[in-house]
Amino acid sequence: MRYDSITEAIGNTPLVRIDPAVHGLRNIDLYAKLEMLNPFGSVKDRAAWSMAGPLLAEAVEHGSQVVELSSGNTAKALAVIAGMHGLGFRSVTNRMRVPEIKDLLLLLGAQIEELPGQSECLDPTATDDPLTLFHRTLSASGSAYLHTDQYFNPRNTEAHLTGTGPEIVKDLDGRVPDWFVACVGTAGSSTGVARALREEDPSVRVVGLVAAKSDFIPGIRTIDEVQEVGLFDPDTYDTMEAVGADEAIEGMLTLNRRCGILGGPTGGAAYFGAVRHLRPLDEESEERRTAVFIVCDRVESYLSYVRQRRPDLLGRPPRRNSPADLSDAEIAGAPSVSVAEARSWIDTDRPLVVDLRSPYAYAALHIDGSVNIVDELFAELVRGGLPFGKRQSVLLACPVGEQSARYAALLTRMGHPDVRSLAGGIIAWRDAGAPLVRD
Amino acid sequence: MDGRPLYLEPRLGPRLRSLLAATGTLHTLTDALGSPLHVVVPDQIAENLAGFRSVYRRHHLSGQVFYAHKANRSSALLRRLAATDAGVDVASLGELQHALGAGLTADRITATGPKNPEFLWLAARTGVTVSVDATAELEQLAALVRRYALAPVRVLLRLSGFETPGVRVLSRRSRFGTPVRESETLLKAVERHGDAVDLTGVAYHLDTTSVAEKATAVEGCLAVLEACRSRGLRPRAVDVGGGFGVSYLAEREQWEAYTTELTSAVLGRRPPLTWGGHGYGLREESGTLRGALGLYPAHRSVAGASYLDELLSRPAASLGGRPLAALLLEHLYDLHTEPGRALLDQCGLTLARVLEVRTQETGGELLVRLAAKADDIALEDHGVLMDPVVLPRGGAGPGGGPVAVHLFGSLCLESDLITRRTVFLPRRPEPGDLLAFANTAGYAMDFHATRAQHQPAARKVAAWQDGDTWRWCLDDQFWPITPSGGAQ
Repeated sequence: MRYDSITEAIGNTPLVRIDPAVHGLRNIDLYAKLEMLNPFGSVKDRAAWSMAGPLLAEAVEHGSQVVELSSGNTAKALAVIAGMHGLGFRSVTNRMRVPEIKDLLLLLGAQIEELPGQSECLDPTATDDPLTLFHRTLSASGSAYLHTDQYFNPRNTEAHLTGTGPEIVKDLDGRVPDWFVACVGTAGSSTGVARALREEDPSVRVVGLVAAKSDFIPGIRTIDEVQEVGLFDPDTYDTMEAVGADEAIEGMLTLNRRCGILGGPTGGAAYFGAVRHLRPLDEESEERRTAVFIVCDRVESYLSYVRQRRPDLLGRPPRRNSPADLSDAEIAGAPSVSVAEARSWIDTDRPLVVDLRSPYAYAALHIDGSVNIVDELFAELVRGGLPFGKRQSVLLACPVGEQSARYAALLTRMGHPDVRSLAGGIIAWRDAGAPLVRD
Repeated sequence: MDGRPLYLEPRLGPRLRSLLAATGTLHTLTDALGSPLHVVVPDQIAENLAGFRSVYRRHHLSGQVFYAHKANRSSALLRRLAATDAGVDVASLGELQHALGAGLTADRITATGPKNPEFLWLAARTGVTVSVDATAELEQLAALVRRYALAPVRVLLRLSGFETPGVRVLSRRSRFGTPVRESETLLKAVERHGDAVDLTGVAYHLDTTSVAEKATAVEGCLAVLEACRSRGLRPRAVDVGGGFGVSYLAEREQWEAYTTELTSAVLGRRPPLTWGGHGYGLREESGTLRGALGLYPAHRSVAGASYLDELLSRPAASLGGRPLAALLLEHLYDLHTEPGRALLDQCGLTLARVLEVRTQETGGELLVRLAAKADDIALEDHGVLMDPVVLPRGGAGPGGGPVAVHLFGSLCLESDLITRRTVFLPRRPEPGDLLAFANTAGYAMDFHATRAQHQPAARKVAAWQDGDTWRWCLDDQFWPITPSGGAQ
């Protein structure tokens, strides 16, 4: 397929059937609408283009900055669109909790402003919440902004009313699915698709998914947070249900590992919520039915989110020569020297002094003549074998003598005859009045 | 009562739970000393301190925990703390005198906040560490030291306006501290007054619940300390201030259900949950929720010492991603903290007598009037929503099931509401009963109390456990050697 502009590749995403052996529903065909295959990576490409597109010519004329409240995909799409047209983009958010997305936005040239956390010494009479202040700056005189306003802009919904919804019906050969399941963020996609489907067949059931209140799932709001969304109308949904972060990741894993669909946690939440909602209905049902859910973006941006919540999923096999497999007795028996002994040892035998602290700390103050091998790097070196010859005596130093004792024990176990740990570490060294230098 | 009761039950530790069970003692105390009455539990503050110390130990950090005195005027709590190894952070001349009088020596005191000349002089004279707000204050301090031939004063430099690379954090502007951008002027002044001041480190105190913002500040402090060292100064400490927070409620589910219902009420989808339809900062505009919830996050999964732990475990983006604790440690810096509310968690409660219970002819909530002013029980002033515990006068009677009430204060003033929200109680209170407001020691006892309309401010007693019984004395008569269990 040939395009003149990447924005023409937005939309017309595939509708893929999930293998019944995976979801286990007997009478319901479950389809995933793969919005992750939009060119900038998410369902928000449609809304971003729909909202910004018609205003770009004027914005270019005035050199306006594109501004949006977004913590992720909308910001990503708008940053690209703004960049393509030579405009700046600024995102204001208090929800940007996924570092990869933040870095990606910076890479795309976006300017990011984060709203502050809640006050600890609360002044309940203060009425100016950060968002009010934000809107005030946008309306200040002389400001040239293209504010896409995704939570209130009807063109967000319209992108799905005219695009996503009709595409689903077309791909189901003109039939409207019996259920449509969507996570609610800006409510744009769920509202637009629901409206398009209902226009064809009012009997479609719409399930809205929100995040459990104490949980955080990127791109989904909690039941309270959706109330702040202008596009949100509770009547759009036949039912609202909550999904937890663990459930979202569980659903994501199924999509990733069993279905070959590399969707992110929001898509995982939609899959999990869909199957959970449909299972009891499937048991009652005798005839063939159809359900559709949206996979809104890709998994790659959420690795740190997964690492934080399910580190086991990123676990690696145990490594050789790791200080973690030392016994307490081995650590306690590690050869060590006091500050006084270390000083005279350095004077007489000149052992290699290895400082395991970070380069910043080392640069600030260190033992004269020592070399700096930061602990992470040292661990890598040791994994491959002894990093020093056996005839070279070594004094290891860390802040309090804990890590140095571990590595002294490990190197001893690996066969080094004379490696010692500085007892009490650099702190004891300083407290004993021994000299520390800056080079 | 319409609908199911929306309780916000207080989180009660073993000491407060036991104290609340001593109903007879609490009634006797209030009969004798009047309503309202504050009860503080000094032994709890020592236990809370131990929680902070264990976080220090876990990260191998040394340094001092300074109790932020401003959170409570109590002598008993301060004197109990003097018997531990903690320090105190004082923010006025009176607090400094109080701390010195409680037995805290100068090496355990930091003077912070806005300072008048007398406060600064006594701080310099006694040799406490001064957290310097700005260059002008440093000049003022140095002049005092020279004029009165005092020993050089230890100073911390209070910084603000920290910046992050890449992302701009729209932090609230602070009245206090010197912006990091202007720190060079301050460091030059430190060098110029090297004979009068001894730089021990830098400090910040940010009014935010966000760990990320505080982590940025620690990184900013490390950068300034590096600048100090490159100038040949030898700073030793970072003071990360306080704001570690308290989790007030027992059940997260109750907090979540309450805030969801409050949202519905503001949107007009359920009957109001507050006096006069107050929205606690939320409002409705054409069917959409606007504004921000102006309430303290009353249930927090991470608060107090564990909040400090989380901050210290946070990776420092600008310094190779190593955890902040590791960076502090390997740079050989001490960590100072200034918890106020968090050290006072579970350290006391406030008792108020029920004077009147009025049934409205039109139905609806009971109107309950207490022998206390709203400023005596200042939870609402800090946005903390938490149910009181009913302590019936004559022991627990039949009760008759849950009721919804409005709690009014005793001032002749429309706005004297103990709380603006409708409070659900598991049983109907009767005149003579006590309502016990738990966990009021942090900022909710005397910070806002007035003597308006010739009404008394609450008295304060210190209570401690002696075997199975609770003993007490007036707050200002408590010393750590007070007999029978006051000292441990």
